[in-house]
Amino acid sequence: MFSMRWLTLLLLVLLSIAILLAPMLILHPFKEETLRGLTLAYGVKRYGLLVDLLALAGAIAIAVKLWGGRWWRKAIVSLAVILIAATTVLARVNVFEKMFRPLPNPLYASASNVKFVDADDMVMTVVHGGEAAAYPIRQLAYHHVVQDIVGGLPVVVTY
Amino acid sequence: MWEATIDGRTLHFHLNGINNQNFIMRDDETGSWWQQVTGEAIFGPMKGRHLTTVPMDELSFALWKREHPAGRVLRPDPTVKEYETKDWEAHIAKLPLAIHARNKRLADREIVIGVSLDGHDRAYPVRSVIAQSPVIDDVGRAKIILLAGDDGRSVRAFECGTVELFRNGGKLIDATGSEWSFNGRAVSGPLAGTQLKPIPLLKDYWFDWENYHPETTVYP
Repeated sequence: MFSMRWLTLLLLVLLSIAILLAPMLILHPFKEETLRGLTLAYGVKRYGLLVDLLALAGAIAIAVKLWGGRWWRKAIVSLAVILIAATTVLARVNVFEKMFRPLPNPLYASASNVKFVDADDMVMTVVHGGEAAAYPIRQLAYHHVVQDIVGGLPVVVTY
Repeated sequence: MWEATIDGRTLHFHLNGINNQNFIMRDDETGSWWQQVTGEAIFGPMKGRHLTTVPMDELSFALWKREHPAGRVLRPDPTVKEYETKDWEAHIAKLPLAIHARNKRLADREIVIGVSLDGHDRAYPVRSVIAQSPVIDDVGRAKIILLAGDDGRSVRAFECGTVELFRNGGKLIDATGSEWSFNGRAVSGPLAGTQLKPIPLLKDYWFDWENYHPETTVYP
């Protein structure tokens, strides 16, 4: 019964680490993705929080039972709970938006007095409802996704 | 570029991951995952749905400004220090590739203009279009013309039907002697005022275009 609890606690820690790492390893820029991998990554992102919270609740219940004895025993039990709590929080972070900051409130300048774009820089452009907008490729190549409303039409500019 | 609205609801998109060198977006409202290059939802409640393409151009800033002096330009985010430098394409070309093109006629990172028309996909190497402009070609039953701008960088394409344009000195003219501009409009001569129908273009690396358009043919 005793070792069963320790084993379960260890498995819960490993599970929460797997939930954190699997999408990062699968949706990696420099390797080939497969449909199975993507399906797994989507499932983990979709249901990861629920599984993480169940794992955390389970780990806390086990920790209560295992509590007591020498200081190192308490330390290991606490560490396991803290690890699961930490991976639960970290799994919520969008690593891609840490690498490339999004533009939640994009700002625009009038074409006539722009200093930050050179004449030969390429821009992605759209005209709609009498309004013309340009998105410099150098900026898009960093942000990748810019949301805008052009002449009343909500658009997402992607690069 | 895509319309952000589907079924009357505006979605807000985030960068969410990479699928074979092409990124995946996630929308806040439904949590669906969208493939950037195709605009198709590949997972989630919207799976199988497609975003609507917004007609757009990739132009040099000078050319665009001449056409739209009153337009607006996205400002850089002052908190971002690591914007790409002018020669960023050369840096990207050195990054490793996860997948390779099957058709080796073009290099993996050759930049192509992708056209999807009448159920057919066709890729035009940008450098060929710029060297040979105007390029007249068939895609399915459609006759199309690809034009390079006078900046030597911008490219546009139009369905041209029976109109055949050719270069005469610095001018673009047809058999009637009408003169045409880079935005597909006859500016003088018998056909003055005629506007050719623009074709949406996708500028892409050859390996990426081929991966998402496996039946593509290559110009010439």
